[in-house]
Amino acid sequence: MGDIKTQPTVSSETEAEISAIFQSDRPWVVIVWDDPINLMTYVTYVFMTVFEYSKERATQLMMQVHNEGKSTVASGAREEMERYVQRLHEYGLWATIARADKE
Amino acid sequence: MTPTTGFHRHGEDTFIANFAETEREVLVNLVQQILEILAERHDQASDDPLAAMVGITSHDSPPDDEVLLRLLPNAYQDGVDAAEFRRYTESTLRDKKRGHAMSIRMLLLSASDGDVALDFANAQAWLGGLNDIRLALGVRLQVAQNSPADLELLAPDDPMRAVYAVYTWLGWLQETLVEALMGQEFSDDD
Repeated sequence: MGDIKTQPTVSSETEAEISAIFQSDRPWVVIVWDDPINLMTYVTYVFMTVFEYSKERATQLMMQVHNEGKSTVASGAREEMERYVQRLHEYGLWATIARADKE
Repeated sequence: MTPTTGFHRHGEDTFIANFAETEREVLVNLVQQILEILAERHDQASDDPLAAMVGITSHDSPPDDEVLLRLLPNAYQDGVDAAEFRRYTESTLRDKKRGHAMSIRMLLLSASDGDVALDFANAQAWLGGLNDIRLALGVRLQVAQNSPADLELLAPDDPMRAVYAVYTWLGWLQETLVEALMGQEFSDDD
């Protein structure tokens, strides 16, 4: 007969790893920064095209970028946010990805 | 030849404009410069053909040149994340931008009597490509530091005055294309 196995323990390292797995599900956000070059109508059009937002919503977000210097324009899984930012960069908008709690 | 009146929607999915010869020359010259700037950022020959095939580039640091950095910006404020993202995506972004510039150049060079007709895909390429030129000129004009009023007051012999004139013309041209794409219902409050 084999030995009685010792009871598995949960170390603080394991805890940290588990915690990291759950943290990876935390929503990420796309931030668009104000930029003196991009035209207001153009930025609105890009929001409508990339995120399929209504003209009203796209205009509202564009105005927030214009007036407040930046706007959080989307949130969700990291990979999805990265695809959005890649498209925004194709259109020449100044956009970055951040953790929702660190924006 | 009369100057262009900008883009207009023609039918369901076509956007047309007519360019005077000088406008055509200026635009072709500018997209050529964009293509050259992008080509400066070529990938060093990769030892790993698989990496090359899936678009992993040798670049993970941001470009030193201010114009290139504006065309290929960091996707994260954090340097480590930005480098990682750039390594996997920058070559794709460069290819897209090259494609946009090529679309403008090809259609202008083949335009008979200056007539250009864009389908929806080409209209998107032109929007991005025209914007890249504006970004490049805007960085050179330092529009972040100089107000439009400052730029209007440039001396007639200042070479930047001509650059600013092209910059504003491109902004207007791009706006006509955006409005044509939006169905001309967008009210301009800029």
